[in-house]
This record gives sequence, structure tokens and C-alpha cells, in this order.
Amino acid sequence: MAAVVQDNRQAGGGNDTHIAEDLATHFGPDCVTQECVDGIRTVWVPKKHVRQVMRYLKNDAPARFELMFDLSAIDERARRNRNGQPASDFTVFYHLMSLSSDDDVRVKVALADGESVDSIESVYPVANWYEREAFDMFGIEFDGHPNLRRILTPALWEGHPLRKEHPARATEMDPFKMTPEFQKAQQDALRFVPEDWGMSLSAKHTDFMFLNLGPNHPSVHGVFRIALQLDGEVIVQAVPDIGYHHRAQEKMAERQSWHTYIPYTDRVDYLGGVMNNLPYVMNVENMAGIEVPERAQVIRVMLAELFRISSHLVFYGTFAQDVGQMSPVLYMFADRERLFSIIEAITGGRMHPSWFRIGGVTQDLPDGWDKMVLDFCDYMPARLDHYQKMSMQNKILQRRTKGIGAYTTEEGLDWGITGPSLRATGHDWDLRKNRPYSMYDQFEFDIPTAEAGDCYARAAVRVEEIRQSLRIIRQCAENMPSGPIKSDHRLTTPPRKERTMQDIETLIHHFLNVSWGPVIRPSESCTTVEATKGWNSYYSISDGGTMAYRTRVRTPSFPALQQIPLISRGFMIADLIAIIASIDFVMADVDR
Amino acid sequence: MEWRLIKTEPGAPMAAVDDAYNEEAGKSFLTAKLEDLVAWGRANSIWPFNFGLSCCYVEMATSLTSRHDLSRFGAEVIRATPRQADLIVVSGTVFRKMAPVLQHLYEQLLEPRWVISMGACANSGGMFDVYSVVQGADKFLPVDVYVPGCPPRPEAFMQGLTLLQEAVKNTPRPLSWVIGDDGAVSKYSVSQRDLRTADRMRATGLAEPTTVGDAPLSDSLLGKKRS
Repeated sequence: MAAVVQDNRQAGGGNDTHIAEDLATHFGPDCVTQECVDGIRTVWVPKKHVRQVMRYLKNDAPARFELMFDLSAIDERARRNRNGQPASDFTVFYHLMSLSSDDDVRVKVALADGESVDSIESVYPVANWYEREAFDMFGIEFDGHPNLRRILTPALWEGHPLRKEHPARATEMDPFKMTPEFQKAQQDALRFVPEDWGMSLSAKHTDFMFLNLGPNHPSVHGVFRIALQLDGEVIVQAVPDIGYHHRAQEKMAERQSWHTYIPYTDRVDYLGGVMNNLPYVMNVENMAGIEVPERAQVIRVMLAELFRISSHLVFYGTFAQDVGQMSPVLYMFADRERLFSIIEAITGGRMHPSWFRIGGVTQDLPDGWDKMVLDFCDYMPARLDHYQKMSMQNKILQRRTKGIGAYTTEEGLDWGITGPSLRATGHDWDLRKNRPYSMYDQFEFDIPTAEAGDCYARAAVRVEEIRQSLRIIRQCAENMPSGPIKSDHRLTTPPRKERTMQDIETLIHHFLNVSWGPVIRPSESCTTVEATKGWNSYYSISDGGTMAYRTRVRTPSFPALQQIPLISRGFMIADLIAIIASIDFVMADVDR
Repeated sequence: MEWRLIKTEPGAPMAAVDDAYNEEAGKSFLTAKLEDLVAWGRANSIWPFNFGLSCCYVEMATSLTSRHDLSRFGAEVIRATPRQADLIVVSGTVFRKMAPVLQHLYEQLLEPRWVISMGACANSGGMFDVYSVVQGADKFLPVDVYVPGCPPRPEAFMQGLTLLQEAVKNTPRPLSWVIGDDGAVSKYSVSQRDLRTADRMRATGLAEPTTVGDAPLSDSLLGKKRS
């Protein structure tokens, strides 16, 4: 059965000249094109040109690529199916996006083991942390990087985890022992040394104070640490330190079957539940050529939007709490419980239902689901009005958050900010509207934006998004299509059960798909969705096996934390807490 | 309260007086061993440390909110500094980078102190048998109660907490400082699975997955009926 490649709406198009030809005319004929099933134009460029290519694509190309969406690497040394791609031990890839002309390009650079590549941090500032991550995970050096040091693993770590020779399992390594010497060495390595970050200890009229906030602090939303250089109570410079929540999701993807990786995605943005399943399963479906039935798509949309509300409610409550309101969080968690009872009735789970499947969803909706959902849609708007009065119209909350931590659209794009936080700057890009997936083009909803780009605006956009999600959910409940909840495709996992007992072929497929998992043809694909906190993408490479050769998880929270120093400079510590609260991140989404 | 008149004339029977005295005394005095009394006080005034690692922490925080209301069990005074707390709930994945920090925080907790390991990751590493994760908090912390689940429901956490309180109440400890091990051994080492399996196996009427069943949110909570 021939695989039919799904109509791809990920890469926008609209620009007819192939970017590879364009690059070839500027940077010589060594720029090689690669076809990927996601339709994103992929060009291999010689390593010596990387920085110029980036500068050209950002500033001078016909389609300006304002956003460096993702940067990471691939260890190609164990790969069998490369289909004529340039020889490479380690490939660094750059995923750029153009919002002005709705276009994507993926630039790849081939490196031999031990070779370095130019840093593009001076072109796209957001690349700073991404390059540090690639260095940490693969050992690739980036020339000209101002501060190339480990970011996710502890400072004293040996080896680079995403290299194929690095052990994946903890149980393959020596057992963990907490000796006093080990603890002391690790704690010493965590000590913040201002000089290492180019900070002076004093200025003309002041001695700076250095304050360590975290990694366990009530207001940093998880295990996140930020070292502050203070002049009195005013922040001069801030250095975020992450990696305390690194669960090695990308390494994990290399040893889980395509199917059994789904539960891991739930735990990436742990407030987003099935929202995390969505880009992953859509990506695998794209690689396998699976068409998902309409009913399954609408069920997915409904559950994803329910989780968006759940995530935003946690944001709303903790945001109010962090700026000093004690009671709103209690109201919002009570509503979240109401919402979870719907999730529970449908999926059986609460936070991590892992309910989407390759080719559809686990089960059909239970009898009576629509009544529960519509009841919730009726109930919630009045509550939101109440919260609006309680929190958003509260003068103290407004004075704590208006004009604090503001940035413009351009600054946001430079620092890789996506989703509601970018829309708070007046930019109305929403993937659900601009590149509709999973039938989002069939729904009526608005994209809330705000102008100020400050903490208050970020909260206001999310509050309005709750209302818009309710609209979408109501439309799902009122217009749920009938039909199957899983595709007929042979790679649907697990395959539909009804026919397995009828003929041996289907039974064999069922058996193999359940025991080994589906085999995905050698291909590459990236799928992005508008997740709760911004744009979340899964970029998977199959080498023709039952497991991914490499899976890259791009999350919105990672660049958001990198931006903190920029937007908190000159504010007080109490403002920093408001800024952190307004970013809406969870550490699992940062460190993965 | 019951009121009665007592004859104070000579020769009147004294039984009524004794009754009233005993009744009042029963309301005003408590006789117990000091050791037990202290253990009872400890069990009902556990101060947890405000510490969370990952997903489980959200469920732990949920147990503090209105629907579940942890304060019913006298353990809602969350402290932001370990020096004022005597319980740490390891709620989430124990990361290699975080483990030395966790150890440092644990050492600062007031003694006697307790550890609840919440969720599969903290119990054993769970689904994350991977280079950056310590395979269980008990690799370096003395865990008192393990709460299973990924993440455990708030109710499961609260059950873990009540089990811990039970153990604290029934564990005699010396009242003063002692050199070396204080000899306090938890009296709760039986697995709940072993205790309850027989009971659970008796269940026959499970809810069908095709209905919403008696889902906790329903009309009564919303206060209305949809016709």
C-alpha cells in the first residue's frame, strides 16, 4: 500500500523561488537541497558560510526570516539511510521562520567529528542558549560564542549525552552515590562566580550585592535558579541557570518505539497534558502518511483546548498569587478540578492522559460527554467575569504588572518568543489561524492580542484565550462529526481491533505493531503546534526503524527564560517575581 | 453540658457529687504518657517544606486547595525555609543536578524529620531510567512513605500523609537529645498493596469506560440540571 503524504500545511509557501537556488547564487553551488516530508525547504550549506547565510536570511533575503525557531544537532555516525545527503558526522541544523512571508527554512551544516562551526549568536541573539545546549549535548564547539559552557548537565558532567556512545540509561552507568565529597564538589561547582560572567564586584559609587534566587524558591515555579547582581534592590544583571529539570526527553526518544514515546511527551509541558501529544503524533502521521479521521481530529482539538484552559488557569492563579493575591489561586484550582473531572470521564487520567494515538485517539468519547462539556462551557464565563473583577481589575495587581518587563515584537522575535507572550506585543500570529492543523480552520475563534508587551498584557492575552478556547470547545461539542476515531492505515498504532480476528494479514500487522511498534520509512519531519505556552515542535528523523533515530523537542519556555535578564534589568527584585510569573513556563518545558 | 443540683445537707448521698466531678474532670484533664502526647502533637502539626520538583508538585499543591483541603489533616503550614519545616515531600523527578541541592536542603530540616517520596520518579526513577535521573530519592534520603502514581492523585498524597501521621503517632521517640541513633523505628512498614489487595479483588461493579459514570463534576456540583 503506497503511503500518501498528508497535505502539508506546516510550511506556508507563497514564495515560489526555491531558497536553495537563491542561496546558491549568493554562496556558491555547494548549497545542496534535501527533500523532507514536512515540506520545509532544507538546504545544506558549507560550514564556512554559516554566519553570512544567517545574516542574509535574516536581513536581505526576499523572505526575511525574523525568527530563529530552533537550533540543535544530529549525531549522524550510526545512521544507515542518508539518501545522498552530504557526508557528515555531526549535523547542526537551524530552523528559521519568516512570519512576514509565512515561510520556513531549515539550514544544515555538515561537520566532521571534532570540527567547530561559527556561532550565529551575533545574528540571532536567541542562538546563545541553543548553541550552549548543542555544545552540552554533542560537544560541538561554536567559534565566537561569548560563553560556551554546559547548560543542562551539571558542570562536572563527563561526556555529551546525545552522542550515540553516551549511555542512555541510568542503570547502564555506575550507581548514584551521595558521598560528602561528591556533594561538596557539586555544590562548589554551582557557586556563582560573578567574574566568570564578566561582572565587576563594584562600580564607582557602589558595591554590588549578589543574590542567589533558587533553585528551590517558592516564586520561581520549579527548580530554576537565577543569580542577580544588585545595586541596592535594583537588578543590574541577571544570570538564569537551568538544567535542574533535565529529564533527557530527547535521548529517551531514541530508545522508545514511535508508539511508546507518547507518554513521555505528556511530561514535557506537564500542565499541557495531551496538548503535547498533538505535535508528536501529527509528526509521526506525517512521516507515515496517515490521514486522521475527522472525528478523531475534532476530539483532539477539544481535549487540547480543555488542557489549554487548564494550563492557563494554573497560570492565572499563580500569577495573581506571585504578585500578592492569596485567594484567586484557590478559586482557579477549584475550576481546574471541575475541568479535570471532564478529562477524567473522557480519558481516565488527570494530568498525563497520554490519550492520543498514531492515527487517532485511544477510545471513543463516553456517553454523556457532551453534557459535561456544555455544562462547563455554560459555567465558566461567569467565573471568568468574577476573576476579572477579582484579579485583573485590581489596582494593586495592575500597578505591580503594568509597564513591567515589557518588550516589543521585534525584541520578542529576536529572543525566540512565541505564542501568547508574542501576541501580548501586538503581533497576531497564531499557528491555529495562520497554519491551521487538525481542522482548526473549521472553527470560529478570535486571536486575542495586547499592545503593551508587559506583564499585565501577557496575562490579559491568556485570560482572553480561555474564553476563545471555550468557544472552540462549544463548537466541538455541538458539531462533533461521526465516524471512526482511528485511521484504517496499517501503521495506525495500535491498529483497529475489530478486523484483527477476521484475517491473518491484519492479525500479523496488529501483532507486530503492538509488540515491536510501527516501522516508519526513512524520513525527516517537523510539526509545530500552538501549545499552551507558545510554539512546541517535534522534529523526528527516522532511519527506517521502530524507534526514532533522533527526536528534537523544541519548547517555548526555553527561549523565554533566556530573555529574563534583558527584560528585568533596572527593575526591582519584586518586579522580577512579577516578570517570572507572567512568562508562564514550567521547568520540564525548559530543560526537557 | 449537663447541670444538676446537689444536696449539701449532711447525710445526703455523695454519688451525684462524684458524677459531676468526674464529668468535669473528664473534660478538663488528660492523662497520658508524655512521650505519647508529644508524638500525638507531632503527628498533627506537621509543617511541610515548600519544595517541589516536577509534575507531582502540581498535584501536591492541588491537595492544598479547596476541593481537597490538606489543612483538615493539620499539615498545611507550608514553610519556605527548611529550618522551620519537618517534612519534605520529594514530589517529582530527582535529577542528578538537583540531588546535591536536595541533600543540602534535607540536612537543614528540623529533627525529627520525615520524607515522603511522591510519585514514580521519586520512588524508583519511574519511567525515566535515563542518565540525568537518580533512580529514586531513597538512593540518598531515608524515605518514610512512598506514594505511587504518575503523578499520584491529590487523594493518594493525602493518604500518604495520613499514613505518615499514623506512623509518627505510634513511634516512640526519646524526649531529649540522644547521642547517635534515637532508636525510633517507624511502625508502618507494611505495604498498603498487601493490606488491601484482598479487599480490592472483591470489587465487581466497575464503571464502564463507555459512560461518564459518576464523574465527580456533575450536576450537583454545578447546581443545575440540563434537560
